[in-house]
Amino acid sequence: MKVLEIKNLKKKFGEKVVLKDISLQIKEGEVVSIIGPSGSGKSTLLRCATFLEKMDAGELSYSEKNIIHSKHGRAIYPHSKELRKVCENFGLVFQDFNLFPHYSVLKNIVDAPISVEKRKKEEVYEEARALLKKVGLEDKENAYPSQLSGGQKQRVAIARAMAMRPKMLYFDEPTSALDPELTAEILKLIKQLAAEKMTMVIVTHEIDFARAVSDRVIFMDEGVIVEEGKPEDVIDNPSNERTREFLKKLSY
Amino acid sequence: MRKKLNRYALLFCFVLSFFLLPLITPVWEKIQAEKSDTTLVVGFDAEFPPYGYKDENGDYVGYDLDLAQEVCKRQGWTLVKQPIEWNSKDMELNSGTIDCIWNGFTVNGREDEYTWTVPYVDNSQVIIVRNDSDITELSHLENKIVAVQSDSSALAAFTGEGATEENLALCTSFKELQQIGDYNSAFMNLESGMVDAIGMDIGVAKYQVESRGETFRILETRVSTEQYAVGFKLGNTKLRDQVQDTLKEMVEDGTFMKISKKWDLEDCVCLGEQLGITEESTGEETESEAVLDNPKNEKEENQDTNTPKGNKSDILPVVKQLGEGMVATLSIFFLTLVFALPLGLLIAFARMSRYRILNWISGIYISIMRGTPLMLQLLVVFFGPYYFSQYINTFLPEQYMITVNLSNSYRFLAVIIGFSLNYAAYFAEIYRAGIQGVPKGQREAALVLGYSRTQTFVKIIFPQMLKRIMPPVTNEVITLVKDTSLAFALAYTEMFTLAKQISAAQTSIMPLFVAGVFYYVFNFIVAFVMKRIEKKMEYFQ
Repeated sequence: MKVLEIKNLKKKFGEKVVLKDISLQIKEGEVVSIIGPSGSGKSTLLRCATFLEKMDAGELSYSEKNIIHSKHGRAIYPHSKELRKVCENFGLVFQDFNLFPHYSVLKNIVDAPISVEKRKKEEVYEEARALLKKVGLEDKENAYPSQLSGGQKQRVAIARAMAMRPKMLYFDEPTSALDPELTAEILKLIKQLAAEKMTMVIVTHEIDFARAVSDRVIFMDEGVIVEEGKPEDVIDNPSNERTREFLKKLSY
Repeated sequence: MRKKLNRYALLFCFVLSFFLLPLITPVWEKIQAEKSDTTLVVGFDAEFPPYGYKDENGDYVGYDLDLAQEVCKRQGWTLVKQPIEWNSKDMELNSGTIDCIWNGFTVNGREDEYTWTVPYVDNSQVIIVRNDSDITELSHLENKIVAVQSDSSALAAFTGEGATEENLALCTSFKELQQIGDYNSAFMNLESGMVDAIGMDIGVAKYQVESRGETFRILETRVSTEQYAVGFKLGNTKLRDQVQDTLKEMVEDGTFMKISKKWDLEDCVCLGEQLGITEESTGEETESEAVLDNPKNEKEENQDTNTPKGNKSDILPVVKQLGEGMVATLSIFFLTLVFALPLGLLIAFARMSRYRILNWISGIYISIMRGTPLMLQLLVVFFGPYYFSQYINTFLPEQYMITVNLSNSYRFLAVIIGFSLNYAAYFAEIYRAGIQGVPKGQREAALVLGYSRTQTFVKIIFPQMLKRIMPPVTNEVITLVKDTSLAFALAYTEMFTLAKQISAAQTSIMPLFVAGVFYYVFNFIVAFVMKRIEKKMEYFQ
């Protein structure tokens, strides 16, 4: 089953075309990494898919259900209430965590399931504690975000996203704000999720990690998907000149 | 979409209603007031002994108030003693918040501006100097600084249209003619040498010199002579006649003279002559109780036992009275916060709204509220409805004319409305800064987690905003404590106005210091409480 399908996405900021004509499918259980130079539009693509930016044209479906359709070349959005409902399909992990600073670690995780999804408190708390254990922070449930290290914050953010029981997870450069020694703990966690067959789309600069964890790698440049395929093809044997150039620059 | 529009429309109506409130209330209050027109609201300057001032017990007393009381008694009216801000007396009278000005009110030069009774006091303007001063003649005032109360008869005697050639010449010879708000500060100025002389009414001068002891003296030569009468709104002859007839009765049976004697003013009164009555009044005790069994005699007995007229510096009664005034200050303070804090949030929403029109309106609102003095805004809220209706009436045919008569009880309401509208503007900008200071990522995280707009604001943005705005809100709140004293502009007697009145009555500046201590203590508590709240929110960053 296709968890996500995007067709002919176009996005401009003012006069500047950021995404030219992106089509993309993510199958259930698939782990896809998006790589590319900064300004290539990979983060914008993620933000369009999570409704943080509005696409100008194109279509979008979650779980094979059409959400945004195209009419006279323009993207037509549903009512915002309906759009909020669609958000249950995915979770998003930000580069700078965006934990709620006034909530404790546990509250950060349980609040949305309880107040947005109206799920039973006991069940949500139980699940949240299990998630904290999974990310290795079971002893931090009463701490506040300001008392945590960057890596711990990001693990809480992942747990928070997971608590919504999403069909897929987006990661927007999840380790860019972290010191190298903290990067490893996050990558390890994502690998663990991949092993559990979580559907994931990861925007990243960690090429080795992308190679290790992904089923498929997408290379983007200047608002288009230049090349995509198995990691050993795209990363180790790129067929496109621009891909080769980008990877060469990274290896210095 | 429609639902959302409705919500904004509702919000808009709420804000609008705040502006309309001052227009509606007076009308309502007028209906209330018409039920009982048996009150006589007398406007007076409560810092003008012996005509009207605050005594040691915190009551408004004075020669004029005694006369008014007696008139009311005979007419079966209830007397309302309304201290007013002297500069606003015309607005008070015209808008109907007071019925008359009865307060050593000089006729000369104002003959055509009010409907007057016949004069009851013949008063002269004199000059007071320090006892150690070498000024003994009016001509010695050359190159000196002379103080007068603003809009007073003394000022008129020197600069008014009816001023004599000599006085005008005298006035130009002064180094400066300084206008001072009240006599108490005038005396503080004189005592400290900031001014060389004060020009004032002889009755007031006698009282002041007597109660302040040896420090001051009155110059022999008088600047001018003039007369006092009761002033009514131009054209209000009906009420004038009622009051005047009663006064006439009082002259005839000797009560008038008796009250005059009580206040030591028997040499100045002229009502009998004016009405063509020869008064058989001597000190004979005509039986007329109530108002009359008061001070003079007791006072003389008490002279040595330390409660003379200008009783000095007994601090406890002052503290007690100011404590009572503090209740008025506190009610302004709390009610303003209760209304301004939520109203400010609404304005902040409008300011950040996606709808241009709301942006625009709230922008103008904030700009006006911050760009004009609070005192002016208070005056507009209070007197605005009356003058606005007058203006509208010039465009309306007679049968549709609106009569707005402001009632006296609108005074407090106007203070609260004025303060709330003003502070809401400042709070709105603080909220806006607070909201915009919350990182964008917080909103995005909430959005992706499926929070609704309301949930996002209430659960995520608001608590973080609150923490950010505490220091500037504390600033505003402390300013508000001190700003409450501006209520004097509408003659609402809060603590500081009270302090000024007591200070004038006791001819001492001690009450002002006590008031300062009150403010400081109150602000200290406010700062402490705010600090605690800030501390409470320190658990997150």
